Amino acid sequence: MTAATTTTTTTTPATATATGGPSRWSRVRSLAAAETRLLLRNRTALVNSVVLPLLLVAAVPVLGAGEDGVALGPLLLQAAVGITLIYLTYYNLVTTYVARREDLVLQRMRTGELTGTEVLAATAAPTLLITVGQLAVVAVGVLALGEWTAPADVVLPVVGVLAGILLMVLLAAASTSFTRTPESAQITTLPIVLVNTALSGLLYPISVFPDWLATVARLLPVTPVIELVQLGLAGTTWDGETVSGGDLWAAALQPAAVLAVWLVVAGVAAARGFRWAPRR
Amino acid sequence: MQPATAPPAPRSTRTTPAIEVTDLRRSYGDFEAVRGISFEVQPGEVLALLGVNGAGKTSALEVLEGLAPAGGGTVRVLGLDPVRDRARVRRELGVLLQTSGLPGDLTVAETLRTWAGTLTAPRPVQEALAQVSLTGRADVRVRSLSGGERRRLDLALALLGRPSVVVLDEPTTGLDPESRRQVWELVQGLVADGAAVLLTTHHLEEAEVLADRVAVMRSGQVVLSGTQAEIAETQPATVRFVLDDDAPQPPVPAGVQVVSTGRRVEWQTGSLQPVLAELLAWAAQHGVVLRTLLARAGSLEQAFLAVADGAHPAVATTPEENR
Repeated sequence: MTAATTTTTTTTPATATATGGPSRWSRVRSLAAAETRLLLRNRTALVNSVVLPLLLVAAVPVLGAGEDGVALGPLLLQAAVGITLIYLTYYNLVTTYVARREDLVLQRMRTGELTGTEVLAATAAPTLLITVGQLAVVAVGVLALGEWTAPADVVLPVVGVLAGILLMVLLAAASTSFTRTPESAQITTLPIVLVNTALSGLLYPISVFPDWLATVARLLPVTPVIELVQLGLAGTTWDGETVSGGDLWAAALQPAAVLAVWLVVAGVAAARGFRWAPRR
Repeated sequence: MQPATAPPAPRSTRTTPAIEVTDLRRSYGDFEAVRGISFEVQPGEVLALLGVNGAGKTSALEVLEGLAPAGGGTVRVLGLDPVRDRARVRRELGVLLQTSGLPGDLTVAETLRTWAGTLTAPRPVQEALAQVSLTGRADVRVRSLSGGERRRLDLALALLGRPSVVVLDEPTTGLDPESRRQVWELVQGLVADGAAVLLTTHHLEEAEVLADRVAVMRSGQVVLSGTQAEIAETQPATVRFVLDDDAPQPPVPAGVQVVSTGRRVEWQTGSLQPVLAELLAWAAQHGVVLRTLLARAGSLEQAFLAVADGAHPAVATTPEENR
């Protein structure tokens, strides 16, 4: 029943779906490749995505952080995680999703064989690639500066960053429901961008805040990602305590739980609020 | 995911219509855009859905395309639910939206290749280009295409997966006459190959050329449906002529509704032949010349206009007429 003979990709039978034709992965990759090509052809977006976050990270030592005995390497990396998640992943994706929606591209894509989730994932692909690329560049930079220290744990930062990326995608999808044009994204993204930049502990530790504010800050979406990265890379908790072994994982419980709750909240908000076509 | 043993979509089963819509309803808040419509399209057949803007055509199609849930009633494509059996329906369904966008910075060929990469059994990109006469424009960015070229590219995407059910929402709006004719030939080719085509249009000529059957919608309801001849028959024939100044007025035959009288006479009648015979006999008897005599049977266009005006009898009998 399949007509997969016309398929030009080299999918193995194991990855092909039961309905025939290319695998899901290969189908999504086709659209993701087109999106990547589009980004490469849009110089402004490319510069904004690649250069600006790196400049921000480079400004971290200048801002005088890293004085309180915290090693510069982990500090730069956790700042890079926070800045890329907020300014690149979240902001870029709100703009991209809204632009594709208003150009009626999303609605067109949704009439094909890809599912809605696959369309959104493929559309996000170039942004996600740059996100990971940026973090890799900063990590290499830290190594080159001789500031690399052996991490206390690698699982926590990796899981934290991956969950953080997924959370940004969901928050971006949810934010499109109150963003009418790509231009207005500059304003509608401000609450999430500003609050998380100020209170996530990515530029300075949240332990400098009064207790009540620190408690609130730890419940924000990006803070737990930073906490997990800091725990893994420097082995220190949000209030500067050095932990290891079982204590390390115990300290990771709260941020992990906060992150999980945010993923659910953002997922529900995205599922309910996302529109595929402009308002008529 | 479908089990490997799932039967293929029953594309040629005689008993299953390609499209089956039963008492479909759809509302936006308090406004009921589609108010219980039913129709079928068989493989190898074209159904044209006519209606003025806002009649509910696009709202109905969106349910069929699986883009919106039905508020009531059922929609089946090849016997399957467009939402629940999405994966299987989409493999067989080609959709051209009334308005849709494509990224401007991809070339025509890149756009087709991208779309082909998402499909189960796409036709070759070269073939798709040739189908809509865009071979020479393959390397042009979509942004630089004319409106008509972009529409043709969109159509090529709709047909790229070799669909057996094709839904075209105003396929030729904005096309020049030559491209329009080309699209018509394309659609006729699809139908000859056994595809079922549902299209909306406000070009009556398009419906006349393509459609085996026509359904006319007004205010969310199908108020007229049938073959073109059947629909035309619902309309009265027209008799029109001009009399000389000194000519006497002809007697009005039975079954004639006088639209205008005096020098320029216009009648409407359900029985054209006897009325015309009576008129001609009278003219011969009295030596009257009927200048610019015209006798015309009811037409699809007339039916459409009557429905659009709300003047068609079928409309007057519809239960509720709330705005």
